Amino acid sequence: MLPFVAKRLVSALLTLLLVSVLTFSLAHLAGDPAIAVAGREASAEDIERIRAYYGFDRPIVVQYLSWCAKAAVGDFGMSYHYQQAVSDMLVARLPITLSLGIAALAFALVLSLPLGVLAAIRRGSLIDRLCLFLAVVGQAMPTFWLALLMIVYFSLTLQWLPVSGNSSWLNFVMPTIALGYFATPALMRLTRAGMIDALESDYVRTAWAKGLRPFTVLFRHALRNVMIPIVSVSAVQLGAMLAGSIVVEQIFALQGIGWLGYDATVRSDLPVVQAITLIIAAFYVLLTLAADLINAALDPRIRVT
Amino acid sequence: MSAGNESNAAIDEARAFRRFLRRAARNGSALTGGLVLLLVLLVALAAPLLAPYDPYAHDLSRRLLPPLFYPGHDPAHLLGTDGFGRDYLSRLIYGARVSLLIGISVMLISGLIGTVLGLLAGYFGGRIDQVIMFVINTRLALPVFLVAMAVVVVLGASLWGTIITLGLFLWDRFAVVVRSATQQIASQDYVTAARSIGCSHRQILLGEILPNLMNAVVVVGTIEMAYAILLEAALSFLGFGVQEPTPSWGLMLAQARQYLFFDAWLLYIPGAALFLVVLCINLFGDGLRDLLGMGEDT
Repeated sequence: MLPFVAKRLVSALLTLLLVSVLTFSLAHLAGDPAIAVAGREASAEDIERIRAYYGFDRPIVVQYLSWCAKAAVGDFGMSYHYQQAVSDMLVARLPITLSLGIAALAFALVLSLPLGVLAAIRRGSLIDRLCLFLAVVGQAMPTFWLALLMIVYFSLTLQWLPVSGNSSWLNFVMPTIALGYFATPALMRLTRAGMIDALESDYVRTAWAKGLRPFTVLFRHALRNVMIPIVSVSAVQLGAMLAGSIVVEQIFALQGIGWLGYDATVRSDLPVVQAITLIIAAFYVLLTLAADLINAALDPRIRVT
Repeated sequence: MSAGNESNAAIDEARAFRRFLRRAARNGSALTGGLVLLLVLLVALAAPLLAPYDPYAHDLSRRLLPPLFYPGHDPAHLLGTDGFGRDYLSRLIYGARVSLLIGISVMLISGLIGTVLGLLAGYFGGRIDQVIMFVINTRLALPVFLVAMAVVVVLGASLWGTIITLGLFLWDRFAVVVRSATQQIASQDYVTAARSIGCSHRQILLGEILPNLMNAVVVVGTIEMAYAILLEAALSFLGFGVQEPTPSWGLMLAQARQYLFFDAWLLYIPGAALFLVVLCINLFGDGLRDLLGMGEDT
């Protein structure tokens, strides 16, 4: 187990390092950062002063290393636009996006697990067709269109839910559904296919033959084995949702990380864009690492390769 | 090979093709998806002939006319007009051009990158495989949408900027699928045979392995085309994709946002077109996957 863990840790670190190089170079491809900070009307002396103040006059490698060293301890510099520490801004926004991501994943699992299991038990039934329909529609539905349709119906026509803001849990209902539905098709198909395999397997037949109750056979024996791939896909989906929340947060004016990322890109606020890219990538690397380690602990065969 | 064998082979091939067609006909949703997609493609190609008006022509005296299923519509504008008085049907038709152009170009660029990477990783293995897997993992860790927004800002927001950005990002699934398919094919007897008679790596890769990968590449291609169209719409919706006055469905949805209260139909039409095209690509792709006998995991 130990060599496997060490190998995965090293590759996760290397991935993050390459992401940091890419993120850093992207920001410097965007043109002279000193001009971006100073604005178009700034005089030459102002630009020079800003260049010295932010350290843009140093060699690029030195700039990268100092940025990296600071980022490693959670210091992402100052926002060009808000003149505020980027890390403080992130800490303030992170809870909103995390609650949205976790709520959306919970919504997707609550929808896809029971429906996927039922569809597998009653193949070809009405519920199986409903599942297929939900999955096919979900894969083709543009998240932002679904969000706008919900606003028209639930906020403007019925006036049940607030259009925007983040003052109460009601503000999270539509964003959760819009974001969660996006993750549903993959999870539902996986549950259904996994359950069908499990139900045809010998150990489930043995469980039936022992005369166990249907609930025990289906949920204790069959679903338990389906959970392994569902855990890894959920981890990947959660990472994807943190990144994909940009559109949803922008539409509902939920001021989380995604909203901040949109705002910072519009304003060319590079330290903020860099920090968010790095944080989301780090989340993804950590989540896949965790999923790999959990699976290796559950299934010894994985550790060998 | 004798002439008899050759005609037998021809008959076998004809039989196999007919079997393929029969299975295709049974797979109704895939066929419908394919036909609707073909229709949209034809409409996009013939846009100048089909569009009743110039999609760029403003007419401020005829702003926000409702479409035909609403009371008070103008028969001259079947789907009404937008906030600038431009004919909505004409913009919808030209918008199909943008969506399909993006979907197809992005699929080709990313398909090329992903197939080459997957092929090299799967065939050579070892160090090359490790390096390419590392590149794939790094790409997967990058948040596509945020980085695409930032790259578009650098390259300049335009149709081709969007195509290049998305093309450089959506190759991961191609690479992963091609890599594992190549690993399987490379261990087959005919590849070993080709190597034993002294074929070069290039001959084996292009002559033996690549032709057998095409099924997988085509199926992944449909998935990525649908994904590229959705991403372009979302990017354009936020202002980081195709720019005014080019008619893009995502951009039309962005402009519909300010009329949500009284003219929500402005939102329904381009959104439904987007949904329908992506749905048809997916149905077609699912059908292809069944026809070509591939599992759920591609």
